[in-house]
Amino acid sequence: MEENSKNALVIGGGIAGIQAALDLADIGIKVHLVEKKPCIGGKMAQLDKTFPTLDCSICILAPKLSECYRHRNITLYTLSEVQKVNGSNGNFSVEILKHARYVKEEECTNCGDCARICPVRGVSNYFDADLMTQAAVYIPFPSAVPPVYLVDREMCVYLKYKICGLCYEACERKAMDFTQKDEIITLDNIGSIIVATGYNLIEDIDPLKKYGYKRYKNVVTALEFERLISASGPQEGHLKRLSDGKEPTKIAFLQCIGSRTDRGQKYCSSICCMYSTKEAMIAHEHNNELESYVFYIDMRAGGKGFQQFINRGKNEYNIKYIKSKIAEIKIDDEENPIIIYDEVNTSEIKQLKVDLVVLATCIIPPEGIDSLANVLGIELNEYNFIKTKPFYPMETSKEGIFTCGCVHEPMDIPRSVAEASSAAAKVAEIIKEG
Amino acid sequence: MSENVEEEPIRIGTFICHCGSNIGGLIDCEKLAEYASTLPNVAYSEHNLYTCSETGLAAIRKAVEEQNLNRVIVASCTPRTHEPLFRDCIQEAGLNPYLFNFVNIRDQCTWVHMKYPEEAYEKAKDLVRMGVAKAARLESLDKIIVNVNPSALVIGGGVSGMNTAISLGKQGFKTYLIEKEDELGGRLKNLYKLFPYDQEASLLLDELKSKIEKNQNLTVYTSSKVKFIEGFIGNYEVEIEQNDNIINLNVGAIIVAVGASLFNPFDLFRYDGKTRITQLELEELLKNNKLKANNIVMIQCVGARNEERVYCSSVCCMTALKNALIIKEKNPNAQLTILFRDLYTPGTIYEEYYRNAREQGILFIKYSPEQELLVEEDTVKVFNEYLGEEITIPYDLLVLSTPLVANDDNKSLAQLLKVPLEENKFFLEAHVKLRPIDFATDGVYLCGSAKWPVDITESITQGLAAASRASTILSHETIEVEGATSFLPEYNRNLCSGCEVCITVCPFKAISKNEADEIEIRQVLCKGCGVCGATCTNQAIVIRHFTDEQILSEIYAFGGK
Amino acid sequence: MNFEPNILGFLCNWCSYAGADLAGVSRMQYPTNIKVIRVMCSGRIDPKFIFQALQVGADGVIVMGCHPGDCHYLEGNYEAENKFNMVQKLLKFINFNNRVRLEWVSASEGARFAAVVEDFTNQIKQLGPSPLRRDNPDNNVLEKMKAIEAAAATNRLRALVGKQRNITEQENKYGEKIPEEQFIELMDQAIKDEYERNRILLALEKESKSVKNLAAELKIDPSVVLEHMLILKARIQVDFQEIIGNTPIFMRL
Repeated sequence: MEENSKNALVIGGGIAGIQAALDLADIGIKVHLVEKKPCIGGKMAQLDKTFPTLDCSICILAPKLSECYRHRNITLYTLSEVQKVNGSNGNFSVEILKHARYVKEEECTNCGDCARICPVRGVSNYFDADLMTQAAVYIPFPSAVPPVYLVDREMCVYLKYKICGLCYEACERKAMDFTQKDEIITLDNIGSIIVATGYNLIEDIDPLKKYGYKRYKNVVTALEFERLISASGPQEGHLKRLSDGKEPTKIAFLQCIGSRTDRGQKYCSSICCMYSTKEAMIAHEHNNELESYVFYIDMRAGGKGFQQFINRGKNEYNIKYIKSKIAEIKIDDEENPIIIYDEVNTSEIKQLKVDLVVLATCIIPPEGIDSLANVLGIELNEYNFIKTKPFYPMETSKEGIFTCGCVHEPMDIPRSVAEASSAAAKVAEIIKEG
Repeated sequence: MSENVEEEPIRIGTFICHCGSNIGGLIDCEKLAEYASTLPNVAYSEHNLYTCSETGLAAIRKAVEEQNLNRVIVASCTPRTHEPLFRDCIQEAGLNPYLFNFVNIRDQCTWVHMKYPEEAYEKAKDLVRMGVAKAARLESLDKIIVNVNPSALVIGGGVSGMNTAISLGKQGFKTYLIEKEDELGGRLKNLYKLFPYDQEASLLLDELKSKIEKNQNLTVYTSSKVKFIEGFIGNYEVEIEQNDNIINLNVGAIIVAVGASLFNPFDLFRYDGKTRITQLELEELLKNNKLKANNIVMIQCVGARNEERVYCSSVCCMTALKNALIIKEKNPNAQLTILFRDLYTPGTIYEEYYRNAREQGILFIKYSPEQELLVEEDTVKVFNEYLGEEITIPYDLLVLSTPLVANDDNKSLAQLLKVPLEENKFFLEAHVKLRPIDFATDGVYLCGSAKWPVDITESITQGLAAASRASTILSHETIEVEGATSFLPEYNRNLCSGCEVCITVCPFKAISKNEADEIEIRQVLCKGCGVCGATCTNQAIVIRHFTDEQILSEIYAFGGK
Repeated sequence: MNFEPNILGFLCNWCSYAGADLAGVSRMQYPTNIKVIRVMCSGRIDPKFIFQALQVGADGVIVMGCHPGDCHYLEGNYEAENKFNMVQKLLKFINFNNRVRLEWVSASEGARFAAVVEDFTNQIKQLGPSPLRRDNPDNNVLEKMKAIEAAAATNRLRALVGKQRNITEQENKYGEKIPEEQFIELMDQAIKDEYERNRILLALEKESKSVKNLAAELKIDPSVVLEHMLILKARIQVDFQEIIGNTPIFMRL
């Protein structure tokens, strides 16, 4: 690549953003990878295992995170957001707001002394779906990239009230730096942009009262369940229900929570049939006596190896699939959830008492998509996801700005990865022709 | 300086890191450094507070120069994060980066034995002793460099392959597009309209053809098949046959985009190609405006999601919906019934398409595979659980939605390319989740229905993705691979009995036999896993940087020698 | 007396070594007895590494790799498993089979790594010091161990274990697939045979003997020894030295 060729900007450091950045960097194009959170990896880093291979998620993701961090053609900006975009296809200028981390990235050795001494506890950890708490100085998870701690500016008492400062004393590398300020970084010479900011889940905006979420302790969302069964999660994979610590022997997985409904989102979140089966399988691996029930409307298992995966669930992992419509969830005196449902195959109203309910919740556009779309000058569709060109889902309404992954439609990891590469191809065409 | 490092007397420098108090707080690093200096071949030993800091790195460089060191060990955290840093450091000081060894005395010692400082110290000694033993046997290694021919071969001129070729052409790579039929287009030629936008397939096809024609970098060979492929990433020699002519091509990357075939229902549900037809045959009727029927019944999952063919073909539900909507639009009085098991319309747009179809008055009746459908001359009988009895639906056209299946010639192409097929005979990618477009063999890529049944949108996406993946290779004049690979040294040639077990176990197809019937390990394809070395029946193969000798020296040092 | 075992661990870079690092980062504590040798893939582990480790006095050897399906090099861990099974079967002849272990530990299983190490260390503590302890090895056991190592190094066993997956999972040129049980049966027999043959070879290295004497010394049935001897002669590893009375004496070539 010539010295004066344009660079690429990738917004979003989840698996799609990472793949796009790596492809472009491997092609020889310089990439600026901007991530809002303190670390890259996105939702995939929070998963225990992935379907249909049941690979350990972080095991297959970690080499890519490392590569991104070390690649000579990738500059990583974490705790950063795109604020302004000027220019047009082939020649953009971008302003990034980089939030202060309050830790010097070059000095931090990831030793954790600061977190151990921090007196502020009880800070919610987003990575563990808020099931775990942490100190005000933290790293989202041990193998996070970049391997650097950060300070929660809302919870840190030094930043708020100028008291404490214990972490500063404790850090031998003198890496704590409370003088850091948010900074604006201007990137000129951007040839093309890829938006890969992923997704949120409906529970982020809707308390799902109808399903007993937040009311009943034994009703959890799929992401919470994922962290509970995860080997590196709050329960280290030994699943215990949150009400009484009992090991569940009957779990119900309810599909289409907030999806495919007139009373919520009308669309299908596409991955839940598969991931509920996966979660049931992982839970079964920890407890062979487990009975799982998947309540679904239409089984969506069209990807490679997916139908076989479902069949394995039925035959080997004691999962029963019930075509149904959920009416209500109640609880008994011992906080056991009771599901009342209409069984489609027999057209009867039935009840099932279980130990735990897992809600497969609707995938919704990520937080801040409206403002980001505004900044970029791209259109959103009627579901508020990014609007894409017919047959070319990597193309947005603006030339030179591309997209991939869940930010334009709910999809699984293989599709996100393929789309990321396709967006990279489009960017490469522009920058090379350049 | 390290021209002939192997011939110099070994001078190892050991650098014991305190890592602040992470290591130094539990064990005596100074004493450990002293111990290290007593070990065989250690010419210099020091301890540092933070070896990875600029001060620490400078200290290493200084010691290498002043002490004439030709091997370096750092005992601190973990090679998984810091090995590249120290390798770069010694390279700057003039040493080959592979002359570096890392000893983990933090993450796997002081951090995990915090209550046992004496034992941790003894263990650190053992680990340093083992590290020194291996370091003494390290050799300089060069990265392997291979030239890349900046051109590509795309096998298959359907919607996927065409998009790959167009993108590669735009990126400046000479690309050859091979198509076995006499015209480009694949399935696009047979389809009428494309879901979910109801655009005419011919429009898309014309657009793609026009882009291909305009691009000077693209050469199309229709009525052509691949006869022979030799070579490896960056350097493939391909022989194709067009009509009766042989054409030789040299390319750097190959993309497989050969698509899939439609399952032939034989006599399932009394299929006869006239009154009981496939969706593809229906497309033909619709395209030519030859549809006369008024009562149309469509059956989903014919020959799919059963014992013989376990999978869901993913495109058939949308195809049925699309064709049903077209019929309904042309003939609002037509009665359309779709018999389904599960409707596959995931995502935002497809789910909306399904809702619309329902709203247009298309009837959807669920059937389960346990209760068999009975197809008679002009009716279909299906059991309905709401009524608790069988219902009879009249039809004057029965459309069977059948799955896409792998092409018959996938096997021979797979053998030519030395790539695998999975159990349904579709091509098998390197990794279903994270490397869906790559083959395990570097330099060959995969897209579209050749991989798994996908719709037009995803075929296009994957076609572009393949262009990007190929571009990561083709964009460089040379590609460089890590030097820690497997090789069969000349001095072991006589040990090789030609048994070919190594060929069998290499998952990257890096090993083959050349014309002289000798085992050849393609360095550029080798990933250095070492399985061939551990398997070789005569122990002839050497795994660089993890040689038998090096590992055994660690074992002996562990034993106290 | 407090016996502190000396344990050697082979960890693969991408999964188990990463899992061990995670245990470290998470400060999960485990016994100090294990020392680690890092390899890129568990498939790198040549059986001779395990045998040499035991011969230099390791009380226990543990090999850790990625879970099946997760191997960074796609299939290396399957190869590791087959080699390990062969190793363990051979070690059973000297009751060492519980001194070695194969475990799958992924990069996210820091806690599991610590638990496995704790469990294995306890297991070895229960077994007591290895009879091949460096300072005072049991020569009888050492002899047998050498025969085991030589057996594993034979062309035959290396080829069988190397082709195991290929033979049992893929069809050969005739469209035949050998069922796994059938292969295992054949393999078990081959393991026993090569072990006994190498015991015979080692015994003959010290002194030429007759079949009867060998049978008595090695406690193997004379008819079996004879069968082995004929094979070894065909392999040109032994030959007649002389005949005393009616009894042939064999020598190592």
